[in-house]
Amino acid sequence: MTTEMQIDSYLTALRHHLGPLTIAEREEIAREIGAHVRDSAEQSGTSTETVLARLGPAKDLAAQYRDGLLISQASRSLSPLVLMRATLRLATKGAFGVLVFFVGVFGYLTGGSLVLSGLIKPIFPANTGLWVIRYGRSVRIASSGVLFPPPAPPAHEVLGMWYILLTLTLGSLTLLLTTWAIRRSLRLSQRWQSKL
Amino acid sequence: MAKLRIPATEADSSDPWEAQLRKGAVEMAALASLWQGRLYGLEIIRFLDSRSQMALAEGTIYPILSRLKAEGMLTSEWVEADAGHPRKYYSLTEAGRERLHQMAEAWVSFSRGLTQLLEPVLEQQELPQ
Repeated sequence: MTTEMQIDSYLTALRHHLGPLTIAEREEIAREIGAHVRDSAEQSGTSTETVLARLGPAKDLAAQYRDGLLISQASRSLSPLVLMRATLRLATKGAFGVLVFFVGVFGYLTGGSLVLSGLIKPIFPANTGLWVIRYGRSVRIASSGVLFPPPAPPAHEVLGMWYILLTLTLGSLTLLLTTWAIRRSLRLSQRWQSKL
Repeated sequence: MAKLRIPATEADSSDPWEAQLRKGAVEMAALASLWQGRLYGLEIIRFLDSRSQMALAEGTIYPILSRLKAEGMLTSEWVEADAGHPRKYYSLTEAGRERLHQMAEAWVSFSRGLTQLLEPVLEQQELPQ
């Protein structure tokens, strides 16, 4: 196999494994790596094969590009889908990533559920709320959320329409806090592991 | 002075702590290599090798440069060279220069404190109780 064929073969594999990136990004990366291989072989007097071996498998090099760009873009995104996709990738890298992923799942599910129940309250007012049971002077929370059928007496709903304000506020704060925590964690992970 | 080799893969490193320490410094080192002016990837690798004893695996630097560019720390341009093919040169942006300055200050302050702490260890003395 000639030198150019070896380089082309490596770059073809690299482009293939860079799949999720745009065509322009893939071509830019392939062009730069191609220039590096030619320069490195020429300047150090080593064979193209040796330079390609030093670069490592095209699949691993592509994974470094993909992970770096995915996490970098996600750390500036507000989209829960983009953020959770990046945390899922981070979760494959170690315990910190797994923790961030579960914090994300818990935070978005909790915040989303709170907001959703607040939006459902005007539609099913009798089935949505916070029910308590009084035992003399003490009060115990019997249930909360959207329930079909609603809890039977002596449990009674106490918040009324204040439930909407409370759940929308708490839900929004939980979603914001989760987004902030994930973005912060992704940035930290970039500094700790520049080669994720 | 021993060279700080950045492993090509995690498995290449004998000490995970040392590997993490080095990886954490690569981003700052890459930015610092461009402080004096534009360089292309291979020049950055050689510059770091000769000036900081940081021997980077060849595949390590390019994804980092790509990410730093995506974050607005670097700009790049293709320049025709005598080699017969163009080379991609990187330069620091204003945001990159500011970020590097912050990193340098934090690094110097942190390492000064640690050096004081480690002096007795290196001199084989007992740390004060």
